[in-house]
Amino acid sequence: MQGRYEMVCAAVSLRVSPVFIEKVHEVRLLPRQAGSLDLNVIADFIADACLCLPGTIVAEPGDLYNLEIWRVKSILGREFKYPETIAERTAVELAHHISVAGRRMTVSEDNGIDQDENQQ
Amino acid sequence: MNEEKTAVLLLRESQNKPLDPHKMEELRGLAEAAGYRIVAQISQKRGRDYRYQIGRGKIEEAVALGPGKLIFYNPLSPGQVYNIRSEFPVAVIDRFNLILEIFASRACSREAKLQVELARLSYDAPQVRNALSLKKRGEQPGFRGSGAYEQSMYHDIRGRMAKIRAELQDVQSHGEDRRKRRREQGFDLVALAGYTNAGKSTLLNALTGSQVEAKDQPFTTLSPTTRALSISGRRMLLTDTVGFIDDLPHFLIKAFRSTLSEISEADLVLLVADMSDPPDLLRRKLAASHKALWDCDVRAPIVTVLNKCDRLDEQSSADKEESIRDLAPCPVLASASSGFGMSTLQDCIMQRLEPLREYEISLPNTSQGLSELSRLYETAELLSVKYGERLIVRLRGRQETVARAGLAGGQLL
Repeated sequence: MQGRYEMVCAAVSLRVSPVFIEKVHEVRLLPRQAGSLDLNVIADFIADACLCLPGTIVAEPGDLYNLEIWRVKSILGREFKYPETIAERTAVELAHHISVAGRRMTVSEDNGIDQDENQQ
Repeated sequence: MNEEKTAVLLLRESQNKPLDPHKMEELRGLAEAAGYRIVAQISQKRGRDYRYQIGRGKIEEAVALGPGKLIFYNPLSPGQVYNIRSEFPVAVIDRFNLILEIFASRACSREAKLQVELARLSYDAPQVRNALSLKKRGEQPGFRGSGAYEQSMYHDIRGRMAKIRAELQDVQSHGEDRRKRRREQGFDLVALAGYTNAGKSTLLNALTGSQVEAKDQPFTTLSPTTRALSISGRRMLLTDTVGFIDDLPHFLIKAFRSTLSEISEADLVLLVADMSDPPDLLRRKLAASHKALWDCDVRAPIVTVLNKCDRLDEQSSADKEESIRDLAPCPVLASASSGFGMSTLQDCIMQRLEPLREYEISLPNTSQGLSELSRLYETAELLSVKYGERLIVRLRGRQETVARAGLAGGQLL
């Protein structure tokens, strides 16, 4: 948007067994804009979204430039892993759907405000 | 006379990763399963060489041993295959092509042959397109063209792929009908899934007492094999399926969708793993199996069976169980070859299958109703039958069995 990246990060705190999601504790949606993208921006964004949420952070390898787990752990300063089990993959998919919906909402809201401003 | 097939195995590992000996072991197992005699195993830690994938010196070292083929663990691009073949007098394949070679040699059924052909064409199609675009680069209107025959090659491949997909769709719909019919007959469908060479076929034999071919080599089973099993009067069909393997391209899984639908449509999945593997390898194989099950879109409950536990003592079994607790919290320890843990596994299957519900139905007291009653005696557990103007039947069974009775004039009470 106007040469800036409009991003939304969804953090879902849940308890899983290897196959099923057992309980969803909390869903958090964090919007942010950035002029350029790099690993530090993404890592800060993920760390902020997961602030005060207990447990291990699970994210898709593509989101973190396919870095080795030990490097991501040291950047985030928290326990981290890429999804392994079916439930972890389902959880990542859930967070992905939430973030896409959130982003659509923020973008359409921004467009709406722009249109109103133009009319005035 | 059959000429002996010889090969040298090559593996390149990136510099910032520790060398994984299991990868080479797996490649060796695959090559031996394809009938190759291994002359040497060469591995190298370095960044990717864009021309040859591995260092030129290592290829020269391998070629000096005089093998029939070079087999790479790492995937090779068409350019790399071309470079190696044009500079060294030796055939070259990668791990994916080796797997396809095994599949092609073992495919017996029409379905398996079509699946292998589809996987091969899916792999070839982008390479042919790439080769054609290179060929057409110097083309000018009227002359120096690549010719109609070569240009149509890519379209022929796409056409053949579409034809195979349509045929496989047909096979898949037959499979769906078969599964529906089996459920109507009162069978629960249980699938055996797991990493290749985990002992799925041996477990099938141990549970059902059948004599399905089972060997200590990868990809012995290619087409699904189904055998009947009865546990505490509950009838089920146990299906053995093709094993999973790590780092497979998605189009191979797509090509084998009709076979893998036996897993995705099952009522219960037994995920078999080889417990005698080292802990990190066991973990990697379980994670790869979970990924494959995710790709198959499995919704059924999963029971993890740690097979070959007779090869370990009690302490190391407990340690391994602890190391995979997040992937398999309550695994069943079993040994298909010695029969250990079979009764525990049977109990676990009974617990995890959805309990059969009780229904009360009314059937017309006619010859059609009586014939339906006779069918219900075979396909469900009949609790009571009251004969009157209509037949009032109380039974315990599958929903599909009861729905079938509706076609013969039965009414659910």
